Amino acid sequence: MYLSTKMLLYNLLAKGIILLFFLMTGPFLLKYFALMDIDAELKDKRDQILAIISENGMEDFFVGNDSPGGFGSYNILKEEYVLLERLEDPFLLDSIFNEERILDKVTVSYRVCAYVFSFEDETYLMEIGKSLETINRIFDLLFRIIIFLLLAFLVLSFFLDTIFSKWLIQPFRKIIRDKIAHINEPQQFKHEPVKTSTKDFRLLDDSISHMMWRIQKAFNQERVFISHASHELKTPVSILQTKIEAFFGDETLNEREMERLMDMQQTIQKLKKIINSLLLLSKVNNAQYLKTETVPLHELVQELVEEWEPLAEDRNLELNLEIRDEFDAKSSNGSLCHIMIQNALSNAMKYSYKGSTIKLVGRLGPDEYQLLVLNEGPAISDELMDQVASGLVFLKDAKKESSGYGLQIIYKIASFLGVGVRVESNSSGTKFIFCFPVT
Amino acid sequence: MRVLLVEDEKLLADEFLFYLEKDQIICDWASSYANASEALAVNEYDFVFLDLGLPDGDGLDLLSESKKHQKHALIIILTARSDIKDRVKGLEMGADDYLSKPFSFLELKARMQAILRRKSGWNKEEINIGGFILDLDSWTVRYQAEKIVLTKKEFSLLHFLLLHSNRVINRFQLAEHIWGDHLEDDYQSNYIDVHIKNIRKKLGNFASVDWLETVRGVGYKIKT
Repeated sequence: MYLSTKMLLYNLLAKGIILLFFLMTGPFLLKYFALMDIDAELKDKRDQILAIISENGMEDFFVGNDSPGGFGSYNILKEEYVLLERLEDPFLLDSIFNEERILDKVTVSYRVCAYVFSFEDETYLMEIGKSLETINRIFDLLFRIIIFLLLAFLVLSFFLDTIFSKWLIQPFRKIIRDKIAHINEPQQFKHEPVKTSTKDFRLLDDSISHMMWRIQKAFNQERVFISHASHELKTPVSILQTKIEAFFGDETLNEREMERLMDMQQTIQKLKKIINSLLLLSKVNNAQYLKTETVPLHELVQELVEEWEPLAEDRNLELNLEIRDEFDAKSSNGSLCHIMIQNALSNAMKYSYKGSTIKLVGRLGPDEYQLLVLNEGPAISDELMDQVASGLVFLKDAKKESSGYGLQIIYKIASFLGVGVRVESNSSGTKFIFCFPVT
Repeated sequence: MRVLLVEDEKLLADEFLFYLEKDQIICDWASSYANASEALAVNEYDFVFLDLGLPDGDGLDLLSESKKHQKHALIIILTARSDIKDRVKGLEMGADDYLSKPFSFLELKARMQAILRRKSGWNKEEINIGGFILDLDSWTVRYQAEKIVLTKKEFSLLHFLLLHSNRVINRFQLAEHIWGDHLEDDYQSNYIDVHIKNIRKKLGNFASVDWLETVRGVGYKIKT
């Protein structure tokens, strides 16, 4: 998953958690603070009434009252009430609680502040109540407003965060797209610094560029070395080759001398092939080939089959071509593709049982195009497979008079071209599977 | 025909001169950049064979001089260098072909002929051998009015042998001509016999192919 996607998801998740937390705790907190506020208001009113009583006495409440033992007053909408009651049996009370009252057959919930106090040798109970209906309405309204504001904030901040994080990691994406994605092709690496004011990205970009500069330097040194080694190795072989060729042109040579000359030619030929194979491997390792061609694989395989068919017939082998889908390998190298597939086919021809069939299958999968070369013949030993796949050791197949570079060349070219290669070998035969990426 | 060979290896140059002079070709040899530069400025050549690795300069620079002084000369780069960039650069700078060392003189001769044909405007060219006509433009063979179907490799082999008629061409030379260098081992040289067998079979249906001789244990020869 890309960093930007992760950041986006984190952003969403974090905000979702915040919203959920508020939804779960918000009502309780709001209610708690609303009640605290009401309690403070009730206490304040209690103190005001006590101050009035202390100043004016109880006459204002009890004189002319229909019930001489108590006083009660509700405002018109029954939102608040004050109640004073003379107690015959005194007790202590200073409490705030919720209580439901039935007034005109309507149940009303009140927050009640109850307080017992003494005044002029009498004990009174004072209750000040405030309807909770209003509070609940205000609370609901407040909660909705807060939720709306919170949602608006979350959506807005999500978009802002997304835009900001995209802008923030843009240099990082550029580093990945233009630099890290090309580290396998050091010669094509571009050293232009990525524009960024973020120190971390600057450091990353500089470090990658420096590392690639060192790799490029090493590659260039290796290329010069390969070029010189090639010159030093090939020139003496050229001299030998030309001298032998000159002998071949001599018509006075007898049959025995010709045979000896042929032996020498064979040795030189082997030497040439070894040098060429080693140079090919070195050049592939050193990324000296271009990958700019579009290679129509179906055509390439068709061409190879046509080339090799007479030889297969001579060995009593059947070449069976089954191209289910056509495919163009993009950003590839036709010559290297040819060598790679030809080596697999050559290997199949060499190790097939007489009278058997070699199948070449091309099929398109969801992510890759698979090219299979299947033959019926003895298995390649596990030891050889491991060593070739690890790319560390070349093995000479003494029994088959083979240099062992063929498999190595297949692996190296495949790796260079970004082609996946699998070799499955058992007693019934060997299967080379080349997986070309579709994108 | 007069050619200039720019090559610093004396032993190789000696063989080169011997081979070309045998074919009545006048050959000048320059062993260094300085000598080559002088020869290019003074003489006129039909072909310039240019080695890139010279002791006193880069052969690619000589290529520019060749193009300047030898407007009609055909240039073939001969080098043991492996860098593909050199090859691309050489061809971009106007070289007509590129032959990697070690090469066979027979291959060089084939390339020279191919370049001459190309440069001369793709004139229709046919070769007759024993009544069989090889059309080098269409890569087809016919006998009288009958068209004979040969594969590309078979045609290439027959043409190569014909280019070097009356000379024994060994299997390795033939294999290298049609397969190049990149097969794993010498296994493909055995396939030459298969191709020759097929050529004989296909042509033999129309007329005798006695002119295509087998030299036992060595290779083949076309006798004209």
